[in-house]
Amino acid sequence: MNAHLIELSDYSLPAVGSGSGIQGFDFALDPGDVCAIESRHPDDAHIFLRALAAMVRPLKGTYAFKGRRCDFHRYQELLACKQQIGYVARDTALISNLTVRQNLLLQRYYHENRLSIDLTDDELALCEAFGLCEKLDRRPSGLNAMETQAVIVIRELSKKPAVLLLGQPEDFIGHARFELITQIFNQLIAERLPIVFLSFDQRLVGRFANRNVTITDGALTTIAVKAAAGGE
Amino acid sequence: MERVTGYIGRKAIDSITHLLDLCAFIYRIFAQIFGRPAAGRVLVGRIIVQQLYFTAVQALPILIPIALLVGSMVIIQFARLSGQYDFSRISVLLIVREIGPIITALLVILRSATAVTIEVSYMRVLHELDALEMAGVDPVRVVCVPRLVGITAAMVGLFVVFDLVSILGGYAIVWLATDIPMAGFLYQIAKAITPADIGTGLLKAVLFGIIITATCLYRGFEMKRQITEVPIATSRSSIECFLYCLVINVFISTVFYL
Repeated sequence: MNAHLIELSDYSLPAVGSGSGIQGFDFALDPGDVCAIESRHPDDAHIFLRALAAMVRPLKGTYAFKGRRCDFHRYQELLACKQQIGYVARDTALISNLTVRQNLLLQRYYHENRLSIDLTDDELALCEAFGLCEKLDRRPSGLNAMETQAVIVIRELSKKPAVLLLGQPEDFIGHARFELITQIFNQLIAERLPIVFLSFDQRLVGRFANRNVTITDGALTTIAVKAAAGGE
Repeated sequence: MERVTGYIGRKAIDSITHLLDLCAFIYRIFAQIFGRPAAGRVLVGRIIVQQLYFTAVQALPILIPIALLVGSMVIIQFARLSGQYDFSRISVLLIVREIGPIITALLVILRSATAVTIEVSYMRVLHELDALEMAGVDPVRVVCVPRLVGITAAMVGLFVVFDLVSILGGYAIVWLATDIPMAGFLYQIAKAITPADIGTGLLKAVLFGIIITATCLYRGFEMKRQITEVPIATSRSSIECFLYCLVINVFISTVFYL
């Protein structure tokens, strides 16, 4: 039996904000899955995304990444998992005392253990698409909110993640750039990159989701749906 | 009476828990230093250099005038109070053993420790530490280790500069500006100062550097998600740093000189 990419078993999450928490659920994510989260309480949907990113310690349950159980007490192992997860949500940030370029390269600076590296052609192409090429040497305080969010999206995509978690991507990339979102989604789906996203834009949910995750009164249910063909 | 006893007991337990947490935090930073993981060495090295620049080099324009003022003040006061032979020895005792480390620590607390607490608190509140983790980067390695090494090294350097400037500069100021007889002052100082004085001063500087950095980092990391807690954490950390420095100062002086 093939291992799931992410598997949460008998998982319980605490209540945060206006949410009621999620109790005792099982969830598995595989390559090619595109899951849309629906919840009456955005806080529940958000904590579920954070749980998939291993950013929340569960009240109970086990978290497995690529078939390997992650122990939340083993911090370094958890970091190795997180490194492979792209996470774009309202609580994602840039490091404020680094420039945009340094923010995009930070992970490589650290893991490749050298500072003399520059952006790849793919990253530069994304910067071009988001109109950021002129602002690469500015600090985040010199960017507007949309540009900051665009840099976060580029950073997470350039990680070449094994899974992408998105909280309201339409806000991050901008409602005006809906075509750009669909283009990015199409590309990621073509690569069979699993995506979990929370969106209030029904066009995105309808076109791309092949599974709906519904969180109601502390219970999580998953329903397979048929997405519109490749979002075309 | 029971309520008072209970209150004292709870406060005592809280304080002990806090101290143990702080020790565990220091242990974790040292485990990172001595574990010498390969990842991020170049990045950490660069942040250490930056921290040294902020804490040591940028502090010199403030430290040097303070050292001159303190040195000349001490020399003038003891020259008036004591005999010619004693005052150089007393100046050394006071400056190298006690005033030097404490004033250097105070300066580092006011300039750098508060800045580090605020910086780390904001990183916590604004989810920047989460962003580091999601990049597979250990915040203890890239935030704590460079600051601990940088601030401690800066503390030792500033302590040496403070002692030299306050003794030599103070001597020069007093010689130029007053008619106090200064013959043989430097010779007496050279005779009075012992390797133990220098060693003790350096030990104090190292321990002050470690405790100041660890305390302010701990307060920053401890922060919850509310921005209103930043000034409270900053105030707490600076007071705590100074208190710990005084306790360490008394402890070392007692061990070495009594």
